[in-house]
Amino acid sequence: MSESTNPKKKEEKDEEVRIGVYTCYCGGNISDAVDCEHVKKVMTDLPNVVVSRTDMSMCSDAGQALIEKDIKEKGINRVIVGACAPSLHEQTFRGTVARAGLNPYLYHHVGLREQDSWVSHGDYRGATCKALNLMTAGVAKTRLLAPLEPIRLEAEKHALVIGGGVAGLRTALDTARRGIQVTLIEKSPFLGGRMAQLGKVFPTDEDACATLDKLIQKVASHPKVTIFTQAEVTGVSGYVGDYQIKILQQSRGINNDIAEAVLDADMPKVPDAFNYGLTERKVIYKAYPGCYPPTPAVDWAHYNGEPIIVNGQPTIFYNKPKNFDLKVGAIVVATGFKPYEPRAGEYGYKELPEVVTLPQLIRYLELDKTTRTLTWAGRAVNDIALIHCVGSRDTEGVHEPQADGQVNNYCSRVCCTATLHMANELRERFPDTNIYDFYEDIRTYGRGHETYYQKALEGMVRFLRYRGIERPEVVAAPEGDTHPVLVRAKDSLSQGEEMEVAADLVVLAVGMMPTQVDELVQMLKISRGVDRFLAEVHPKLRPVETAVNGVILAGTAQGPMTIQESVAAASAAAVKVAVLLGQGEVQLDPFVAYVDPEKCDGNGACIEVCKYEDAIKMETVTINGKDVKRAVVTPANCAGCGGCVSACPNRAIDIQGWTLDQYDAMVDAIALDLWDLMEVPA
Amino acid sequence: MMEKLLNTLKIDALVVGGGIAGMQSALDLADQGYQVAMVEKEASIGGKMIALSKVFPTLDCCSCITTPKMSAVAHHENIHLFTYCEVQSVEENTNGFKTTVLQKPRYLDADACTGCRMCEYVCPIDLRNPFDLNMGATRAVRVPFSTAVPQIAVLDMENCILCGKCEKACPVGCIDFSQQPKLFTLQTDTIILATGFETTKRDAKKEYGAGELHNVIDGLMMERLLAPTGPYGRIIRPGDGKEPDSIAYVQCAGSRDKTLGVEYCSRVCCMYAIKQAMLISGSLPLADITIYYMDIRAFGKGYEQFFQNARAMGVEFVRGKVAKITQDDHQNPVVRFESTDNGSKVSERTHDLVVLSTGMLPSYDTKPVYRIPAGDDGFVYVPEPNSAPCVTDREGIFVTGAAAGPMDIVDSIVMAGAAAMESAAYMSEKQDQAEIHEQAEESEMEVAHV
Amino acid sequence: MNKKVEARARAEKMKQLRKEHKVTVKRTQGLLKEQKRIHRDICLTIRDTPKTIPEIAEVMEMPSHEVLWHITALKKYDVVAEEGMCGEYVLYTRAEEEA
Ligand SMILES: Cc1cc2nc3c(=O)[nH]c(=O)nc-3n(C[C@H](O)[C@H](O)[C@H](O)COP(=O)(O)OP(=O)(O)OC[C@H]3O[C@@H](n4cnc5c(N)ncnc54)[C@H](O)[C@@H]3O)c2cc1C
Ligand SMILES: Cc1cc2nc3c(=O)[nH]c(=O)nc-3n(C[C@H](O)[C@H](O)[C@H](O)COP(=O)(O)OP(=O)(O)OC[C@H]3O[C@@H](n4cnc5c(N)ncnc54)[C@H](O)[C@@H]3O)c2cc1C
Ligand code: SF4
Ligand code: SF4
Ligand code: SF4
Repeated sequence: MSESTNPKKKEEKDEEVRIGVYTCYCGGNISDAVDCEHVKKVMTDLPNVVVSRTDMSMCSDAGQALIEKDIKEKGINRVIVGACAPSLHEQTFRGTVARAGLNPYLYHHVGLREQDSWVSHGDYRGATCKALNLMTAGVAKTRLLAPLEPIRLEAEKHALVIGGGVAGLRTALDTARRGIQVTLIEKSPFLGGRMAQLGKVFPTDEDACATLDKLIQKVASHPKVTIFTQAEVTGVSGYVGDYQIKILQQSRGINNDIAEAVLDADMPKVPDAFNYGLTERKVIYKAYPGCYPPTPAVDWAHYNGEPIIVNGQPTIFYNKPKNFDLKVGAIVVATGFKPYEPRAGEYGYKELPEVVTLPQLIRYLELDKTTRTLTWAGRAVNDIALIHCVGSRDTEGVHEPQADGQVNNYCSRVCCTATLHMANELRERFPDTNIYDFYEDIRTYGRGHETYYQKALEGMVRFLRYRGIERPEVVAAPEGDTHPVLVRAKDSLSQGEEMEVAADLVVLAVGMMPTQVDELVQMLKISRGVDRFLAEVHPKLRPVETAVNGVILAGTAQGPMTIQESVAAASAAAVKVAVLLGQGEVQLDPFVAYVDPEKCDGNGACIEVCKYEDAIKMETVTINGKDVKRAVVTPANCAGCGGCVSACPNRAIDIQGWTLDQYDAMVDAIALDLWDLMEVPA
Repeated sequence: MMEKLLNTLKIDALVVGGGIAGMQSALDLADQGYQVAMVEKEASIGGKMIALSKVFPTLDCCSCITTPKMSAVAHHENIHLFTYCEVQSVEENTNGFKTTVLQKPRYLDADACTGCRMCEYVCPIDLRNPFDLNMGATRAVRVPFSTAVPQIAVLDMENCILCGKCEKACPVGCIDFSQQPKLFTLQTDTIILATGFETTKRDAKKEYGAGELHNVIDGLMMERLLAPTGPYGRIIRPGDGKEPDSIAYVQCAGSRDKTLGVEYCSRVCCMYAIKQAMLISGSLPLADITIYYMDIRAFGKGYEQFFQNARAMGVEFVRGKVAKITQDDHQNPVVRFESTDNGSKVSERTHDLVVLSTGMLPSYDTKPVYRIPAGDDGFVYVPEPNSAPCVTDREGIFVTGAAAGPMDIVDSIVMAGAAAMESAAYMSEKQDQAEIHEQAEESEMEVAHV
Repeated sequence: MNKKVEARARAEKMKQLRKEHKVTVKRTQGLLKEQKRIHRDICLTIRDTPKTIPEIAEVMEMPSHEVLWHITALKKYDVVAEEGMCGEYVLYTRAEEEA
C-alpha cells in the first residue's frame, strides 16, 4: 500500500486510476464459504489497487465510512465491492461513493454471495479461487470505469391502478390524496372485488359492503380519480415516468333513463358468479344492490343480441368497445385473487350436493340474513363439517395436482380465521347445529384472530386434527343413513382413532389463487414467484415493488392477505408512487447505447436490429465540413439491451457503463487460471 | 448544532422509535421531501432487528438488511436523528403537535465523539452487555454495538467509578462527566408511533424454570448465539459452555396462554423457531432439534415451504403442550410434555439446551403521553383496522410496526409504508383542505345534476 | 505551572463528582474489586494448562455460568483465548500478550 502518489498527477487529464477493493464477509454468508482475507491479500497486488480491505458487513454505516475515508484520505477514485447481489446494495454503495464526492458510476459491484458462496457449499478452496477470478475480473472492469450522469426525465404525475378491489381502491385514494392524478381500471362492471362478496368480516365483524361502500364513495368523489369499469389494459410501452397505456373498454350498454326499468324486464338468465353459481341472474344486472356504479351492465359474454322488452319497447343492446390511450408515470397492479376451485370429486365436491366451498356458504347465508333455520338441498342442517386447507399446503407427489399440473404448496393465510369466523357465526345463528372442524394447524395469527378460535372452543365446536398427508375423506352415506355424507379422518387429538362424522353439510375452506393475469405479466415484463402470485423485488427491502421500475404491487395479487393487510399493502404501494412521481422527475441509470461518431460509418445495421421505438436513428451531421450519416441514440428511449452493439461491424457502439473494452478485460480475467494463487489451506 | 437545527428547520413529521418500522416510515416520508425527526430512546437505532442473526424466510443476514437502512436514515438530508432521547409530553396546538423531548446525557460530547472505542478499551469494569441479553460483556463506557448508528459512545453512570481513565484515553477529549439531561421541543404536523415490542420475560412462567435454569434460554438469546457478532462467537449453552447436542424449542411460551393474560398469538415465534432450527443444523450438523408446538403458524409468503424444508432437513416437530421444565444433575433441562399426537401421553425428555419461543408484548404505553389508549391486548388501539390499519383514535397520530400488535419484518415494513402514506396524505390534505373541500362540493353538485 | 493548576482543578472536580454519585460509585468499586480478584484467579487457573468452563468452575468453586460470563468478558477484551475443544467443551487459555 505505497503512498507515493505524485500530487500533480491528479490534475492531469488522464488521472491515475486508484482503486479501492472491499471484500465483504456478509456476516458470514460469504466468509463461511470463501477465504475473504486471502481474496483481500491477492487483490492488494493487482495493478492500480491502492487499498484492499475486508469487513463483517461493508454495507453497514461503519463499512461505508471506511470507503468514504479511503476516498478522501487515500485518493481512491474507483471503488469495487465484492458482496451480496447488486440488486440489494449496488445503490447503497453508489450513494456512499457519491457522498465522498466521487461520481457514483465509478463504482462496481461483484455478487460474491449469490454467484459464489451460496452456490459452492462445502468447497472452500474452489469458492475462494472463484472469488479471486470474479474479483480480478471486477477490478479489470473497474479500471476502465468512466464517470457518467444519470438520465433525468420529466415524470407524468399520473398513476394507473389496475384492479378495483379493496386494494386497488385504497391505492387510488391514497395516491390521489397526495395530489397525483389516478386512473383506476376494473375489468368487471362493478367495483369492490372479492370483499363485496363477504358478509361480516373478521376481526371487527363489520359489514364488508358497508365498509367498502364508504371507501368507494371517497374514491369516486375524489377530483383526482378517474374510474373506468369493464376496462382492460391491452398494451404497455415506455418506462417509469412515461408509460403509454392502451385500454379497451366495453360499453355499459344501459343509459340512466332505463336503468330502473331494465332490471324488471324479462330476459335470459345465467348462473350468478357473484353468488358462485348458487343463484341465477339476468344478463343485464347489478352485482349486488348497493354496487357501484349503480347503473346496471350488460353481460356481453352471455347476452345473445335478441331484443328485450323494456318499458314495453323491444330493445336491442349494442357493445361498442372503445380503445383509448393513457400516459402515466407509474402502474400499480392490484388484480387480486380467486378462490381455489376444487376438482370434481375432491372431498366429494360437485359430486355430492352437500359439499360446498366456504365462499359459497358465505354467499348462501348472505342471501337470507334473517332465517333462523339452516337448510341445504331441501334438508334441515344439523351437523356441519368444516375442512381446512383445501387447495393449500399441498405436497408435490403426495396430493393430486390441479388440471394444469400445479400444486399449491403455500398456506392461504386467511382461511383458518375465515373458517372459525364462520363457525362462530353458525353457532350464533343456528345454536342447535353441531359443528366439526377438521384441521392440521389452526393459523389464527393476526390481531384479534385467536379470539375466534377461543370462542369456537368455548362454543363447543368439535375439533379434529388430521396429519398433512392423511387428509379427511368425504363419502356419500349409505342409503337410509340419517345423514347424506360421512367425513372420515384419523384424529390425532383422540389417539389417532379413525373418526367418522355424519354431516348434512360439508364446507371446504378453499385457499387463494392468483387471478389469471398472464397477458398483463407479459406486457409489464414483471415476474411471478413459484406460487404463481406476482413477485416483489425483495420481501424485506422492497416488499411492494417489482423488478420493473415504476410497476408496483398492491394486495392479494402478490399473495394471500386479509383485508387489513391488503389495505396496508395498498397504502405502501401508494407511498412508492408518491416517492416516484411526487417530485415530477425520475432518474434513470445511464446504461444506454452511445455511438462514437468517429467510428460510425452510417451503415445502419444498428437501426435494423433495435426493437425499441425511436431509440436509435440516422441523422445527418457535419464532420470536417462534410455532411455524413451517423447513428444517434435517444437515451430516454433506449433500453440498454445491447442489440445494436453486436450488430455494429465497426465497434462504434457501446453501452455506457458496460463497454466492449470493459467486457474484454473482464473475460480475460475470468479466463485466468488462478489456482497458483491459492496457498495451501491453513 | 442541534439548537441551530431546531431553530431554523420546520419539521413535518415526528417518528417515535427507530426500529425497522420507524426507519422505513421515516425514509418513505423523507423521500417525498418531508422533514422528519426521529426520536429513539436507545443510544442506537435499529430496534430488535439489528440484534437478530439471519431472517426468515429468505435467510439473508440480518445486518445486511438493517444496517443499510440505518445508514440511509442517518445520511438522509431530510431526516434528523435524535438518539438516546425520550418524548416527555405532547401538546396540541393550531400548527399540530408540540413535543417536549428529553436528551439523556451520554456523558460525552456527541458531536465530537468519533466512535474509536478508546474509552471502552481502557475502562476497567466489565459489565453484562444488554445487547447480548446479558450473555456477553461490555464496559461502563462503550459504543453500543459494532454496527450502531450513530457510532457514538455512551457512558453508563450507574456503573461507573469515575476513575477518569476514559477521559484521558479519549483522543478528542469529549468525555464530560458533568453533562446534564437537556430538554428541547419539536413542532410537527404529525406523529408516527413505532415503539415496537418487548419479548415475554424468560421468568414469566414458573413452570418453565422461572428464568433460573441457565440452559433454558429465550428466542432472542438464541438469535445472539447464532449471530456472527454473538457473545461467544459460537453456539454453546450459557450454563456451562457446553456445545449442545440436543436442542428443544418450546412454542407459545408466554403466548396463547390465559394464565399470563396473553391470549393472542405472537405471530413470529413459530417462524423464528424454525429458522433458528435450520441455522443451528447448519452450524451443528449433528445436533438433534425438537420443536414442541400446538399449531405451526407458517402463514406468510414462502413460510409454509420454509416449514416443510425444515421438516425435510430432519427437524423433529412434536405436537404437544409442554407442562414443565426442570433440570437434571448435569444442568440438562428436562422437558415434561403431553403429546397430543400420541394419545395425550405424558412423557419426559432430556435436552442439552431449551429455547423458549417467547412471544411479543407491547413495549410502551401510549396513554400517559399521547393520550392514545391500548387495545385489549395492550398494543396501540386501532379503531378501524380493516379500513385504516395505521390510524389511531387521535387525529394526526399514526401507528406502525409491532407497536400495533405482533408482526414480522415484512409486515412491519409494509405497514411502515402505509403509516408514511397516512401521515403524508394527512399533511397534504391539511394543507389544501380548503381547496379540496371546494372541489368536493362542486363534484357533488355535478352528481346531483345528472 | 498552568498544567498543575489544571490537574488540581480536574482532581477536585472528579472528587466532587464521586461525592455526587457516591452510592453507585461505591457499589461499582466493590464489584470491580471482586471482578479483579476473579479475573486474576481465572488467569492463574488456566496459566499452565488450558481448561474448560466446568474445570475452571471446579477449581474456583464457582457456578459454571458465572465462570462462562467472566471468560466471555476476558475473551472479548483479549485476555483469554480459545484453544481447541475438549469433547463438547471449549478450552480456554491466556491470550498471547502483545508486546
Ligand atoms: C372465503 C374468504 C373469506 C374471507 N374473509 C375475510 C374476512 O373476514 N376478513 C378479512 O380481512 N379478509 C377476508 N378475506 C380476504 C379478502 O377477501 C381479501 O383480502 C381482499 O378481498 C383482497 O382484496 P384485493 O383488492 O387484493 O383483491 P380482489 O378483491 O380480488 O380485487 C381484485 C380486483 O381486480 C380486478 N381485476 C382482476 N384482473 C384484472 C385486470 N386484468 N384488469 C382490471 N381489473 C382486474 C378484479 O375484477 C377485482 O375487482 C376472505 C377471503 C376469502 C376467500
Ligand atoms: C427472537 C426473535 C426472532 C425474530 N426473527 C425474525 C425473522 O427472522 N424474520 C422476521 O421477519 N421477523 C423476525 N422477528 C420479528 C421482528 O423482530 C419484528 O417484526 C420487528 O423487529 C418489528 O420492528 P419494529 O420496528 O416494529 O419494533 P422494534 O424492533 O421493537 O423497534 C422499536 C424501536 O422503538 C424504540 N422505542 C420503544 N419505545 C420508545 C419510546 N417510548 N421512545 C422512543 N423510542 C422507543 C425501541 O428502542 C426500538 O428501537 C423476530 C422476533 C424475535 C423476538
Ligand atoms: S390459513 Fe389455515 S386453512 Fe388456510 S391454508 Fe393456512 S393452515 Fe390451511
Ligand atoms: S470513568 Fe467510568 S466509564 Fe470512564 S473508564 Fe472509569 S469506570 Fe469506565
Ligand atoms: S406464532 Fe406459533 S409459537 Fe408463536 S404464539 Fe403463535 S402459535 Fe405460538
